[in-house]
Amino acid sequence: MDFRPTESQQLLINTAREWLRRRCPDELVQSVAADARGIPEDLWKEMALLGWPGLLVPADLGGSDGSLLDVLLLVEEMGRAGLPGPFVPSAVVATTLLLTAGTTEQQRRLLPGMAMGERLCTLAIAEEEGRAEPSAIALAASPGGRVTGRKLFVRDAHLSEHLILVARGAGGLNLFLLETARPGVSVAPMETISGEKCFEVALTNVAVDAGDLLGPAGGGAAALAVGLRAGTLARTAEMVGGAARALDLAVQHARTRVQSGRPIGAFQAIQHHCADMLRHVDGARYLLYRAAWKVESGQDAAADVAMAKAHAGEAGLAVARKAHQILGAIGYCEEHILHRLHKRIQAASVDFGGTGEHLETVAAAIGLE
Amino acid sequence: MDFAFSPEEEAFRAEVRAFLRDNPPERFPEDGMDAGYGSGAHSRPFMQALGARGWLSMSWPRAFGGQERPMVYRLILLEELAAAGAPFGPLAGCDQTAESIIRHGSERLRTEVLPRIARGDATFWQGFSEPGAGSDLLSLTTAARRDGDHWIIDGHKIWSSHAGISTYGLVLARTDAAAKRHQGLSMFVVDNRTPGVDVRPIRSMTGGVYHYEVFLDGVRVPADYLLGREHGGFTQLLTGLDTDRFWGRFYKAPYLRRMLGQLVEYANATGRGGAPLSRDPVVRRQLATVATEIEALRMLFYRAGWLIQQGRPLTYESALAKVMADELGQKVAALGMELLGPYGPLAAGARWAKLGGAIQHMYQTSLGHTIAGGTSEVLRGTVAVRGLGLPKAVA
Repeated sequence: MDFRPTESQQLLINTAREWLRRRCPDELVQSVAADARGIPEDLWKEMALLGWPGLLVPADLGGSDGSLLDVLLLVEEMGRAGLPGPFVPSAVVATTLLLTAGTTEQQRRLLPGMAMGERLCTLAIAEEEGRAEPSAIALAASPGGRVTGRKLFVRDAHLSEHLILVARGAGGLNLFLLETARPGVSVAPMETISGEKCFEVALTNVAVDAGDLLGPAGGGAAALAVGLRAGTLARTAEMVGGAARALDLAVQHARTRVQSGRPIGAFQAIQHHCADMLRHVDGARYLLYRAAWKVESGQDAAADVAMAKAHAGEAGLAVARKAHQILGAIGYCEEHILHRLHKRIQAASVDFGGTGEHLETVAAAIGLE
Repeated sequence: MDFAFSPEEEAFRAEVRAFLRDNPPERFPEDGMDAGYGSGAHSRPFMQALGARGWLSMSWPRAFGGQERPMVYRLILLEELAAAGAPFGPLAGCDQTAESIIRHGSERLRTEVLPRIARGDATFWQGFSEPGAGSDLLSLTTAARRDGDHWIIDGHKIWSSHAGISTYGLVLARTDAAAKRHQGLSMFVVDNRTPGVDVRPIRSMTGGVYHYEVFLDGVRVPADYLLGREHGGFTQLLTGLDTDRFWGRFYKAPYLRRMLGQLVEYANATGRGGAPLSRDPVVRRQLATVATEIEALRMLFYRAGWLIQQGRPLTYESALAKVMADELGQKVAALGMELLGPYGPLAAGARWAKLGGAIQHMYQTSLGHTIAGGTSEVLRGTVAVRGLGLPKAVA
């Protein structure tokens, strides 16, 4: 057993934390939450120079051959900073789908550009039920046909050149790789409180053909599961990072805020809240790491991934609420970063399966019939 | 990061499982009437069986008869014993005492007591708390005075687990009345058979006896049964406290997983309103939630264990894991009582009792866990100060 990140992972963590501290300060997170774009272009380009969008991409496609755990450690740091933007949808979820189901031609066409930060791709799966889950998909589309319908909660569609559309067809699921510029595709923002950019993608008589298929006709479910698992873990890592930062903010405040002649952190009630928050952060973090390790080592990790996501959701939100309690009135202000972190944790907790759905996976795994 | 056990470690796990299959825990007589306080019953015959396999001394230095196996083997042993519900109650105390004797015991303690621990013949009680010294341990008044090559101890210890069914006590006593509160304390190994040791049972709310109070009246202890440095007892205790806490609660995640398994089976086999209880979405969510928290707990303990094995100091880790372990134990027990409904409060042995009455016993004993070995309140303070750098709390 070894809890240490590798040397290169530690270097990645240190680099990320330092770069995010400098280039993604709270003021930037605050300002882009309000603008329509969601991430400054130069920031994304710099991230590309650091090799981050290509972290999961093999070297021969212009990436840096990183592992799932590498990318999760990076996303944890992004969650800590509250970094906005399309990293998880494009560099984790869509990249994983392309690597899992794409033909060599599709991979060569998209991944080098994605790794360089020149183009983005996103997943369009949820519909009105609001669930990123195969059973919740009603939209049907088959090669050679035309598709009309709607996808919701599509992240960063406004910046994405391509989207991966999940539809029913051929007795299973079809994944289509479509340009967002294709005639009949239109995107409209869904305003969120989290600052995450989510879109309604309307499809009106959009032509799809066999060349658009990502993976075999009717056989998209297996690849989709791999992509959803990567997204689930990435959102978990974001929550772990966000909760760790919320705890830091609370502890910092408790050390320095003086009332009745002493720092409020010297009062037992505050100390006990902080201890509980640390328990939540540590527990969520190590469940995440173990789930990622299980996935990487090729073991059946379904229950571990579900536990990690469910626990991070509950624990992360508990930490965020306690942080608000400890920070008092200042944390309630728009100009304070805490509410941004809180809203990001909340959004992540319901993305890629909410706590209840993941706990149902756990319920089956522990033998409940 | 790597959370796997090595092939050798897995082979040892298989060996322990095979031992438990061949020696079903229920075959071993228990020594006390309420010996199962969550950590497995107190059974010296079972300890002797472990001793016969060499498992009680496997991580000791070879010079003391050990095999110098890495600490992870002890974790695996505890994990498997707890998962099987084996009567390993005295094990953590034996491990900690052996470690202490190896580190700073006299030659006599090493030759007289260590072999008995290795065989499973010796088990221990802790004589720390007193009627007036609980969370504020430093207000203890039990005193030892030197008399030739002996110490003579007078005092009153209380809440000592297993004291009536163990062989030795570890008694913390004041050896220098003039010193500051935290100085002038020494630790003694006291043989239960010494004249003047009067061990009296305390009947708990379960109706059974787990704790004892011990009156020490002119108890003569050989000078080389002082464990460690004279007047250095409290520092020693503090130094070992984080690892003691770790070993005292490491069993908890596998133990809770075992209890959860029983509740899952119960939910599968029990009908309510025309359907199995296991189909109730609320029940599914409740059980899945605690299953998840048990795994988080397991990871906290693994991490603390890994730090210990690396020789790195613990600051807050075992305190935090203990708080979580004991509060989660209460949560699992309360959930079990709710699932069992009116069957929950039936006594063990009652005709209609479910799961052998184990859940009500767990429910009751779990109330003691958040108090014993550091209350959850004291430990949260430890986490806040040592783990997060908050100022010491105002008293």
